[in-house]
Amino acid sequence: MMKLAFQIAYKNLMGAGLRTWLNVAVLSFAFVIIIFFNGLMDGWNRQSRTDSIAWEYGHGHLQNDAYDPYDAFTLQDGHAEIPSKVKNVTPILVQQGNIYPEGRMMSVLLKGIDKEQGTIKIPTEAFTTSTAQFPAIIGNRMAEAAQLKVGDQVLLRWRDKNGTFDASNITIVDIFDTTVASVDSGQIWLPIETLWEMTGLHNHATLAIANSNYEHVPIEGWNFESQAEMLQNLDDIISMKKYSSSILYILLLAIALLAIFDTQVLSIFRRQKEIGTYIALGMTRLQVVRLFTVEGSMYSFLAMIVGCIYGIPLFIFLNAKGIGMPQASQEMGISLADRIYPIFGLQLIVGTILLVTISATIVSYLPARKIAKMNPVLALKGKLQ
Amino acid sequence: MIQFLLKGIIRDKSRSILPIIIIAIGVGLTVLLSGYLKGAFGDIIDQNARFETGHVKIMTQAYAENKDQVPNDLALLDASGWIDTLHNEIPQMQWVQRIKFGGLIDVPDKDGNTRAQGPATGMALDLFSGKSGENKRMNLESSLITGALPKKAGEAIIGHDFSEKLDLKIGDEITLFGSTMNGSMTFKTFEIKGTIKFGTSAMDKGALIIDLTDAQQMLDMENATGEILGFLKSGVYDQPEVDNISEEFNNEYKLATDEFSPEMFTLREQNNLASLLDYADVMSALFVFIFVLAMSIVLWNTGLLGGLRRYQEFGIRLALGESKGKIYRSMVLEAVLIGIIGSVLGTIIGIAITYYLQVVGIDISGYLNNSSMIMPTVLRSKITPSLFYIGFIPGVVAMVFGTMLAGIGIYKRETANLFNELEV
Amino acid sequence: MKTIKYILVMIVIVGSGFEVQAQNLTANEIINKVDDNMSSETQVVVSDMVIYGKRNKRTVTSKGYTRGKNDSFTEYLAPAREEGTKMLKLEDRLWIYSPSTDRTIQLSGHMLRQSVMGSDLSYEDMMEDRELTDIYEATIISEETIGDRNTWKLELIAKVDDVSYPKRTIWIDTERFVPLKEELFAKSGQLLKKVVMDDIKQVEGRWYPFKMNYKDVLKDGKGTDFIVKEIQFNVEIPEYIFTKASLKK
Repeated sequence: MMKLAFQIAYKNLMGAGLRTWLNVAVLSFAFVIIIFFNGLMDGWNRQSRTDSIAWEYGHGHLQNDAYDPYDAFTLQDGHAEIPSKVKNVTPILVQQGNIYPEGRMMSVLLKGIDKEQGTIKIPTEAFTTSTAQFPAIIGNRMAEAAQLKVGDQVLLRWRDKNGTFDASNITIVDIFDTTVASVDSGQIWLPIETLWEMTGLHNHATLAIANSNYEHVPIEGWNFESQAEMLQNLDDIISMKKYSSSILYILLLAIALLAIFDTQVLSIFRRQKEIGTYIALGMTRLQVVRLFTVEGSMYSFLAMIVGCIYGIPLFIFLNAKGIGMPQASQEMGISLADRIYPIFGLQLIVGTILLVTISATIVSYLPARKIAKMNPVLALKGKLQ
Repeated sequence: MIQFLLKGIIRDKSRSILPIIIIAIGVGLTVLLSGYLKGAFGDIIDQNARFETGHVKIMTQAYAENKDQVPNDLALLDASGWIDTLHNEIPQMQWVQRIKFGGLIDVPDKDGNTRAQGPATGMALDLFSGKSGENKRMNLESSLITGALPKKAGEAIIGHDFSEKLDLKIGDEITLFGSTMNGSMTFKTFEIKGTIKFGTSAMDKGALIIDLTDAQQMLDMENATGEILGFLKSGVYDQPEVDNISEEFNNEYKLATDEFSPEMFTLREQNNLASLLDYADVMSALFVFIFVLAMSIVLWNTGLLGGLRRYQEFGIRLALGESKGKIYRSMVLEAVLIGIIGSVLGTIIGIAITYYLQVVGIDISGYLNNSSMIMPTVLRSKITPSLFYIGFIPGVVAMVFGTMLAGIGIYKRETANLFNELEV
Repeated sequence: MKTIKYILVMIVIVGSGFEVQAQNLTANEIINKVDDNMSSETQVVVSDMVIYGKRNKRTVTSKGYTRGKNDSFTEYLAPAREEGTKMLKLEDRLWIYSPSTDRTIQLSGHMLRQSVMGSDLSYEDMMEDRELTDIYEATIISEETIGDRNTWKLELIAKVDDVSYPKRTIWIDTERFVPLKEELFAKSGQLLKKVVMDDIKQVEGRWYPFKMNYKDVLKDGKGTDFIVKEIQFNVEIPEYIFTKASLKK
């Protein structure tokens, strides 16, 4: 019987032609957009996490106890030699300095990093190819703020460990482009050996970035902030964005369901004679109701197929090419990439299919209930109003 | 004719109620979606406007050039004069002064000697006048973790984590040590009234918020201000309007010869927000387009349904000798009327809900693990002028189009068959 | 005033032990002569500090008491805003007292690197109180004329690590034993600051510069002027002046 219902439902839908396809189109839009939006959010989430990990967090930070990233005054004393038993970390020494682009004084953070490191994405290989005495790498934002280009020199003044002033021109050997403002704004990256030489703080580090092989054991004088702790804030923002966008697709789904509902009402009205005929031929009313419900929910199956036809290539394309995003203010600590690569997970797709199918079935059922109350004779005559 | 049709619409509920309800729901949804999109995309922009950029911001040219260094020595003088000028010449905006400053917070022990110290990032807001709206704008009250907002001179609120670091309690006194606009040393004692958490580490670990008058006195900035922020009274950022305002202002007051003359910057020109604004526009246009398309299909259906329902009626009218063209026109006109009624109703409902969401919003902080972030945890929509007409496009056009398509059937009917059909 | 005292002390006090010959005098003899001329057990100075801001200039008047090289007490007299603000330095500690809040704040660490009253001088610059001879090795490198005065150009190279400026050049008047110009350098040899003395007058039998300009050469601007209005040498200063209690008085 169920098989018959499907067959009849299918024939009816195909018979209705254009209108069916319009409904299917709307519903498939809903499908595609829900999946698209969630994929975008997941992609953004992954990208922000990946970028933050790749550029800044690594697999966690081992920080000197005296160092507080939010208190510049702690930089003076917040460093020490990292115990030799600590393995699989890239030490970073942070010191303060001033640069003087065109007679203006700008405070900067000097960050020393190993030339050979591969823990974070700062393009330190530029140090190895440069012949400059003080090769420096900066980010886009810093370059813009100080109006510096690759090859430019700028006067830097700093103090060594004894407070003795030193000053020299540094040469910008590379400018990197990152979504993570916190490794860019107001910062100058130097080879750590150079910074050690400049400050006399040989082998000292303010913090150390762990790589994937790092295993944490408590070390006196140092505290470890894990990757997960660092990502917390980001996760919050992403989940907030997800809630925000869920309202969007609830609205979109609502309109698609309204279209199905509307079509059901229309078809039940138009097909009174048909309904009367089914009953006259011996179908129970419940069976007819089921037939119409199946017909309605079949929209979602068709929508799925149609959605797949244009959605899958679209998703594959977007997944490969990414979606251009604007370069916005990064002040809020969110890393927003200029390209986001959406992720379309199985869970997302199956979840969306279930959501759309179930809700389409429900809205198809609602008007179909009316059939149960019809007078078959009047229905057969087409005289119901 | 219209009157006649209106009577028909009102009296024959069967031909009006369903379409009107559907149009109203559809139009309402369109309006709501559009308003919600404006609100959602406006999040970051709005956040920037409220905390940082205003809809427009006025600084001296010299200050603007060095604004990262918080150069209060380059502040705008005669602030109240400028505020008056702005109120008079640009009454459609609300103007507030803000001063940012740096300093050292020194916490005394019981003998008045230094017990703890820490560098503070200060922000002075107009809290006392009661007219600035800064409390609401910056979300101060609801971001308080302990205590209350400053009510009188000499009171301050401090970042919550900062207060813990300095081991401060409500009611404790601190001395702020900094330098005035002229570079002199300056000291001022504040009583801690509250601790605040915005959700950004930088602020929670270092912010000190005081009233503008306290800052002006302390920083020797009597009648001077670092920044004047302007907010459109409508609450919604309107690029063309703001462009006009800033162009006029800069033409008149920005002097090439005087680096201390003021310059107005629109939100768009600050913090790289231009591309984000463009993006938001494109995205919401795309969404609204898809939605309008979907809505049109729904209403087209409704139009068809209306036409089909009255198959018999038209049959009788044809049989009675009415011309096909006349029936068709009356049908379309009726669709226009129903479309308008539904759209008006839907727009009202949509705007009402949008307004509710704009004022009250949906609080999702409960769903978030750690609801301490500068990103708003209340989802809001935003009423824009476009909401008042956006629903009419699918509401009227699609309804009429649907009816027109359905009505074509009239021309296909042959008189010979009419009686045959009517007999059934 | 402490600031002026600091600069002069730094310039004039050089101990014994230099073997470098320059005509008839060695570098250390020259500096000893300058020291004899300008230094004293105690000093009381009333001075103006003129700070050139980007849009205005500002004059801060203060009265400074100095005892030996380590202790000093400064009271600000004008303008009204600064009046009654006091600064006490004992050895390596610095306190600032503000009458408006009746608080004494001790400055340490990073705060000492901030500029004093918006001038080109930092608190730390003022804190240095070791003798030049303890920190630098002096050499006469040439004779030069500044204006119509003949000078010896002395080069001082740091012999200890913890100095702000590892190299200085000082020009000293060959007749009056007054420094006329000084340049402060970074480790790399980059010129950082420049001090120019002017308005040399005789007071109590000593030649003394009544005007000095102190400038951070890396920054745009005119630097900071110090103008001596009154100066007394070897006057009796009551002991209580150099105690924390005097801040609140």
